[in-house]
Amino acid sequence: MKKELKVIGQPIPKQDANIRASGKAIYGHDIVLPGMLYGAILRTEHPSAIIESIDVSEALKLPGVVCVITADDVDVNNIGYKRDHPILKKGEACCTRDELAAVAAETKAIARQALKLIKVKYKVRKGVYDAFEALEDSAPQINQFITGKFENKNIAEKFQYGHGNLEEEKKRSRHIISRRFTLPRMTHACMATSNITASYNNLDKKLLLYSSTQVPFLYQRDMAHALKINPSDIRVIQPVIGGGFGSKLDMHPFEPICALLSMKTGRPVQIIYSREEEFIASPIRQPMIIDLTAGVDKDGHFTFREINIIKDNGAYTSWGATTPFVIMQSFSSLYKVKACSFNAMAVYTNNVFAGSFRGYGNPQATFALERVIDLLADELGMDKAGIRLLNANEKGEITGQGLHYDTCGHKECLETVIEKSNYFNHKTSGKNDRYKRGIGLASMLHVGGGAKIYRSDGCGTTLKIDPYGYCTIITGSNEIGQGSETVLAMMAAEELGIELKKIKVINTDTDVKPWDVGVHASRTSFVAGNSLLGAIRLLKEKLNSKAAQLLNIKDADFEYADNKLISGKSGERIALDKVVREMHFSEPNELAIASFFYEPSSKFQDKEFKGNVSGTYAFAAQSIEVEVDTYTGNVQVLDIYVAQDVGKVLNPLLLGGQIEGGIMQGVGYALSEELLMHEGRILNPNFHNYKMLTASDTPEIHFYPVETHDKEGPYGAKGVGEAPLIPTAAAIANAVCNALGLEMLELPITPEKVLKALDDKKKRKK
Amino acid sequence: MNFEIISPTTTDELLVAIEKCQNRHFRFGAGCTDLLMELKKNPADDLTVINLAQVVDDRLTNLTKTSKLYRLGSMFTAGRIVVNDELKTHFPVLHESAHNLASTQIRQVATVGGNLCTASPSGDIACALVALGARCEMLNTNGKSRSVAVTDFFTGPRKTVLKSNEVLYGISVPLNNKETAKIYSRFIKIGTRRSMECSVVSLACHIQTDAKGVILAAGVAIGASAPTIRLAKDACSSLIGKTFKKITRKEKEEFAATVLSYASPITDIRATAWYRKEVLFNISKSIFE
Ligand SMILES: Cc1cc2nc3c(=O)[nH]c(=O)nc-3n(C[C@H](O)[C@H](O)[C@H](O)COP(=O)(O)OP(=O)(O)OC[C@H]3O[C@@H](n4cnc5c(N)ncnc54)[C@H](O)[C@@H]3O)c2cc1C
Repeated sequence: MKKELKVIGQPIPKQDANIRASGKAIYGHDIVLPGMLYGAILRTEHPSAIIESIDVSEALKLPGVVCVITADDVDVNNIGYKRDHPILKKGEACCTRDELAAVAAETKAIARQALKLIKVKYKVRKGVYDAFEALEDSAPQINQFITGKFENKNIAEKFQYGHGNLEEEKKRSRHIISRRFTLPRMTHACMATSNITASYNNLDKKLLLYSSTQVPFLYQRDMAHALKINPSDIRVIQPVIGGGFGSKLDMHPFEPICALLSMKTGRPVQIIYSREEEFIASPIRQPMIIDLTAGVDKDGHFTFREINIIKDNGAYTSWGATTPFVIMQSFSSLYKVKACSFNAMAVYTNNVFAGSFRGYGNPQATFALERVIDLLADELGMDKAGIRLLNANEKGEITGQGLHYDTCGHKECLETVIEKSNYFNHKTSGKNDRYKRGIGLASMLHVGGGAKIYRSDGCGTTLKIDPYGYCTIITGSNEIGQGSETVLAMMAAEELGIELKKIKVINTDTDVKPWDVGVHASRTSFVAGNSLLGAIRLLKEKLNSKAAQLLNIKDADFEYADNKLISGKSGERIALDKVVREMHFSEPNELAIASFFYEPSSKFQDKEFKGNVSGTYAFAAQSIEVEVDTYTGNVQVLDIYVAQDVGKVLNPLLLGGQIEGGIMQGVGYALSEELLMHEGRILNPNFHNYKMLTASDTPEIHFYPVETHDKEGPYGAKGVGEAPLIPTAAAIANAVCNALGLEMLELPITPEKVLKALDDKKKRKK
Repeated sequence: MNFEIISPTTTDELLVAIEKCQNRHFRFGAGCTDLLMELKKNPADDLTVINLAQVVDDRLTNLTKTSKLYRLGSMFTAGRIVVNDELKTHFPVLHESAHNLASTQIRQVATVGGNLCTASPSGDIACALVALGARCEMLNTNGKSRSVAVTDFFTGPRKTVLKSNEVLYGISVPLNNKETAKIYSRFIKIGTRRSMECSVVSLACHIQTDAKGVILAAGVAIGASAPTIRLAKDACSSLIGKTFKKITRKEKEEFAATVLSYASPITDIRATAWYRKEVLFNISKSIFE
């Protein structure tokens, strides 16, 4: 029987909106502990240099300086996904972020002053700032800690995947298109800069960290490994987090550095990045070159895709190197395709290293793929909507890579945006010859039910109801601004029949909360939601039997509403708080507590990267209309039509927030955002020249949720967080190309690139 | 960053403060939207900031009108230009330049005087004022004032004719021609975003025509295209006597080429010189479209 939902599906504001909007939220920046010192980090002056010596003696003499450390003062392990990243660098600097020394002082100003007194002798060397150059025999080995697993000394990681008979499909193809796409560095630009406060107690040897990590339990493990201490001696508390977007998936050197300063001084130490430092030293979206060759048969069916990707890994390996996990999914499984051959490698350079970023490689992949689909349609003389609909994924499909589409809204998403955007009848000209209009389509596939990339993709919940009828959800998952606390509270309100204000979510303390792999892969509502629903089920069993006993009825089938348990049969009712009190204070003297661990049905992929890696999959399509000013090259995004298979809308308000925020990140990726580098240095480490778009650049966003009710998801819901950003740049690029009748192979599509392309076109004509 | 602040409350006190600072490293602070950024980049420890924001003086902060001109006190803010209907009616180019500056928040404190004295080649209000043929009035510590055309106010990037004992007091904008029946007045700002953007190229134009559409006066200035904002004098004079609506394609292009001859743009991280020239040519043409 389908129960009518009362809370789920309602536009309920984020539960912490009030504290956030009123400035009462406590961010890492607001924390002040008794006796706290301020840490600051000295970074290399040169992206590639031999460090001949570091002299900290003058810094140590500065009054107010308590401690200065360099690599020589610490006994630690390397960090990073490949353990190829020293926390403090010794002997050489390999990228502009490199941490050479750190200071702890009584004030921030003293700490900064002390950095200036540290004397470093550099022997500058020629760096390698191009991944192709790094692959040449003559290139030096950039990272000294690699295992030598690969054929070239500068390969950090490699991924190979294939399905189907490539050669046969090539032969069968009517048209084949090959293109090289270039993707830029984009940075998260979180509103709150990176921060950490570490407090080491040298009596009991325990380390307390106030950290904004997205993955507290993996972080605890990584930190312990780095510092050579026990994971459980580290307690991670998350203050309010001012932006994650994937940037806080990796642990970065400043975090163990802060811990080391606290361990050395026995006092709490805080490190907060300046905005400039944030631009320079926080992670980025991985830049890459994608070579894509794809074919289509005479009827418009996709035949094969052959992909070679070179990713600029930077000097050290972060989670960013593993983005091909996701990239290959789109190439192998977005739209039906008979054969796929995928090769990707991450190559060390002396550039800054990437991290994870909302979409995890997928915006890059989708840009290349959807651009080529437009070109294939042109070759065939087929319309661009038609070719997509013809090849769209379907419910019940098991893809070449082994993804199971138990539900699939791909076609419906495409149909929706095609219709709503009036795709076939859109305007082609602006108000005069100067302005050209175009429309572009793109769709996307992303994990929608977690991603099993760690041994467990699960989440634990402990649920408690107190004698006053209030509920506390202790969840392994955490809140990084996306609204998971609110959605979890809504689920509890729905199931237990209590008001939202009586529900508390505890999710910030690793000493308290049960295991969860962390916030990533759009997984939290799905995995933590299912975990919570499991705990509710268990707790209800206890409450039901007590209530039945109290009411003297046999049947323990209760509905929960208005803070009461209501018998399904007799209609008799009893207050929830009363049942809890009776449970606690009389026989059986039991707590109204239940714990549940949810592990999604997904599988770890095999060595060939095949397997059903997620509990479910999300689909989306966008149709975007642009107007290009041929005098200036400016692209104005007019309307964005987005349809997304969200499984089930849990909260339209929060969903809308994810859609709009994601899309604006996508528009920035498409048109304006790029961290510019020259010879290893970042040229625009500020909001002035890093062109993040503003409220006044926001186009009309028309959102149409598509509900496919996945049986795996809580109430049928799928993950939604990353999807809205993924197809945006692709659709915008397609629209610009449609407007101007030329090709754009590179992001961002800046006014200058547009004008240059128009100029080249004019010259070719002549 | 450590500096001393003097906050005079009258113009007399202000002049005394300037006098006192003659042997010191000092700067004026108006809205401080440029000053703070600059000090952050180049911190100075021995600096005194003379804060203009507390001075109570109508001539410094307000807008007045005479039979010949409008006079804006140098402390008049971009935000106040935006909401002033008279300025909007008579000098749309000034209105638009202020309206496109930074963001609502910054416009509330950013001043006309600051925009001029910063002497940035990409100053928006300054560019409009050059097109409008405005004049700068400077007051020295003896209480004497002198004035120069805005065009001559700038001597280089971040350099002006202001002497160390002078403060910019006000800016006067001549009224439109009596015979003017129609004005074509626009500020064209080129950048990536619609707000919080510094001009990559800008063009200010203020063209007045009589009832028949014959051009009586024309002011065209370009920003972010040369070491200082420049008045495209020859381009302006080439328009006089022509009928605005009847300007031919050839004339448009000649006009654009003349404007371009005033440009000597650089390549920096925001755009190449090629782009700046290309766009400047295009937007110059666009005035007549
Ligand atoms: C985020 C941001 C965006 C911006 N966007 C734009 C933009 O779009 N367009 C644009 O043109 N500018 C822009 N600016 C620059 C700045 O806001 C403007 O130039 C503004 O008009 C400066 O005015 P102010 O009152 O803040 O000047 P201040 O910073 O107070 O002063 C600027 C300089 O002028 C001197 N000065 C000020 N008043 C006087 C005076 N009366 N006499 C003598 N010297 C004086 C000061 O000593 C200082 O050197 C932006 C700045 C920021 C921070």
